This record gives sequence, C-alpha cells and structure tokens, in this order.
Amino acid sequence: MKTEGDAKRDWRTLSLVVLGLVILVFIANIHLEVRGEVESVDISSRFVHSAIISFTMVNGALFMITLALSHKHAKLIEQALGTILAAVAGVLIFGLLVDSGMTVAGVATDVWSQFSMGGIRIIIVGFAILLAFGASFGLLLTLVTGRENPPDPLLELESASFDNEDE
Amino acid sequence: MLVEEYLLTHYWVPLLLLPLGIGMAIATERIRRIGGCALLVLIAIALIGHPERLDTSIEGWSLHLLISLIGPITALLFGIWFALFSGPIPVAPMPRNVRPFGFALMILSLFWFCWMLFEARPAIDGTHNPWWQHLTTSLLTAMIIIAGFAAAFVLVMGDERMKESAIMSILSLSSFLLLIYLLAEGTTSDDPVFWRSASWGALGDLAGMLFGGGFALMLFVTFVWLGEKRMGVPDEVEPLSIDETTRVKEILKENLEGEA
Repeated sequence: MKTEGDAKRDWRTLSLVVLGLVILVFIANIHLEVRGEVESVDISSRFVHSAIISFTMVNGALFMITLALSHKHAKLIEQALGTILAAVAGVLIFGLLVDSGMTVAGVATDVWSQFSMGGIRIIIVGFAILLAFGASFGLLLTLVTGRENPPDPLLELESASFDNEDE
Repeated sequence: MLVEEYLLTHYWVPLLLLPLGIGMAIATERIRRIGGCALLVLIAIALIGHPERLDTSIEGWSLHLLISLIGPITALLFGIWFALFSGPIPVAPMPRNVRPFGFALMILSLFWFCWMLFEARPAIDGTHNPWWQHLTTSLLTAMIIIAGFAAAFVLVMGDERMKESAIMSILSLSSFLLLIYLLAEGTTSDDPVFWRSASWGALGDLAGMLFGGGFALMLFVTFVWLGEKRMGVPDEVEPLSIDETTRVKEILKENLEGEA
C-alpha cells in the first residue's frame, strides 16, 4: 500500500518528466532556429499577448458559466463580479499594451486586429491541446481496460441466504 | 479597424455565447437545459451559415480548418469508442470482435492526418489554409508532453503497465521525431523555415496560454473562496420532533427487520 510520502515522490517524478519534455522541445526548437534562416518571430510579445488574451477569455467564459449555473440559493456576487471585472481589466491592459507599441508582427497594429488574431491563435492552440488529450488518454484508456484479469473468486461463492435461520 | 458585421454575428458573438450555452445545457433544471440546447443549436446554425467565402477572413479560415479535420477526428473518436466498449470491461454493450476494427479506425485517423500533412494540406482553390502549421506544431508539441506524461503516469501509478507505458512512449517519441522532421525538412508544400517560425511562435502561444489561463483559474478559485468565507456559519438545525423520531424508527425497523 502506498503511503503519503510515496504519493509525493510519484508526483515529483511525474512533474520532472513533464518539465524534462518541455525543456527538450525548447532545446530542439532553439537548435533548429540557429541552424536555419528563420524569419524573426518575437516570442516574448507572442507570450505576453497570449497570456493576456487567455486570461481575458478564461475569465469571460467563467463569467458566462457562472451566469448559466446561477440559482436562487447561490451567492455568486463575488464570482460574477470578480470574473467580469477581471475580463474587462484584461481587455484594458491589452489595449494599453498595443497602443504603447507592443504588437505582434504579421497583422495590422490596431487593437482589434491584434486581439482577433491572438484570440484565434489561442482557440486553435486550445483545440490542439484538447485533441492531444483526447487522443492520448483515449488510447491509454482502451489499452488499460483491455487487460484480461482472472475472475474474481468472490463471484464463484454462492449468495447468502436472507432467510433467518433462527426462526 | 472596425470589425465586419457578419464576423460579429457569425463568429465572435456565437463564440462568446458558447460557454453560456454549455453551462445552461448541463444545468440541473429542465427548462434551463432546454434553453441551453436551443442556444447551442443557434450557435451551430450561426457558424454554419457563414455568409461569406471562408477564404476572405482569418476567422473563416479557422472554420475551414475545423471542417477539414472532421474526417480524422471522427475516425479517432469512433475508433476509441469501439475499442473501449468492446473490451473486457463490465460495461460492454458491443461484441468483442469489434475491438480490432476500433484500433483500425484509430490507425486510419493517424494515416489520414499524415496524408493531409505531407500530401494534401487543407486549401481553398489552391490557397493553403494559414492556420494549418500553427495547429500541427501545437498538436505535436502538446502530444509530446501529454503522451510522455501518460507514459510516466501509467508506469508510476499503475500495476505492471509496461506495455501501455511503452506504447504511450512510442506515441510521444514519434510526435517528437515528426516535429523535428518538419522543422528540419519541411513538407512538399512548405519550406522548413515556415515550420520553424510556426513552431517557435506556437511555443510562445502555448506558454502564454498556460500562464494566463492558469492565472485566471487561480483568481476564480480566490473569488469562490471569498464568497464561501462571506457566507458565515449556517443556522443550527432543530432536533427531530417526536413525530419525526417515530417515523425514522419505523423506517429503520422496516429495513433492518430480520438482521437483529
């Protein structure tokens, strides 16, 4: 039986595996970047835009879901107000950022063009993550449930009689 | 720049309302569930009824990408469904000989995707879909990490799951090799330079998305915690009346009869 310490060790191992894979992908990309004649992609502005747009979209979606699931006993003021204000703050910060000149290359420099381009990029990345999750864990589930186990010996026992033998 | 009106009504507003529709569709009240389903149908109609050609806007191209992937995704989902529910599990409404067909559908999905990748990039009248490289590099990067995590997870947490772990490792490794191949050699339709810039940009998007989305979720948890904290301690519950106690005793006696 696993103890609490074992669980911690296991999750630490799994976190290290994920971290290792992320670093591996980064190294592979950087190695091929310096080898090639790649056009300039400003990864830092892509990161900042993506972070703010994701923040706005997730807060907006949570606000909508909060509204959809509200009922008379629910106390949702903090949730609803908090998420909508956070989404509005995200939009304002994004607008300020684009107006200050931090834009992503390859698209017009007005706020809406930058936001719509970033938004679609986020939607596509989210779709890709969902697809990867579905494919990986769907396959894993079919493999894990495919193992034949010996029948449970308890099933071979006769069912107990519910008649009271003392009577 | 002002956004086109048809893009608002046939893309952005439906996308904005999507979480509302999903939230209502999973609600417990029947009327709200019906309203949610109706809203989801309206959203689908608005997206399908896109009035302009899909190659006239980046929004249209993203819908085209989704349509292009319907085939392989459907094959994958049906493959998983058939293989899962025809296996040796207690809930198995399908005959056992369907299982190989399920795996065959999954392999078909993989080959279909590879064929699109190397031979038939999604296009309209010869113009290639601009989102294709972004999706492919994001998908491969996500697959490397998620399948790698699944391989380690099943090995660490499972009981003698070497075979499953090996298959997931192969999936992760092949995704990595495919990504490297695309970055180094490209495809018949695209030079590797474009793949490299797409992959590099997708890394920024993925990292930003995880950071921004994670921060939003943490903030949401804080709002819920604040709400719970403000609710205060619930009122004390009155003890059972004599009638209620008698009724409870009756029910207990009825159900426990013969075991005492």
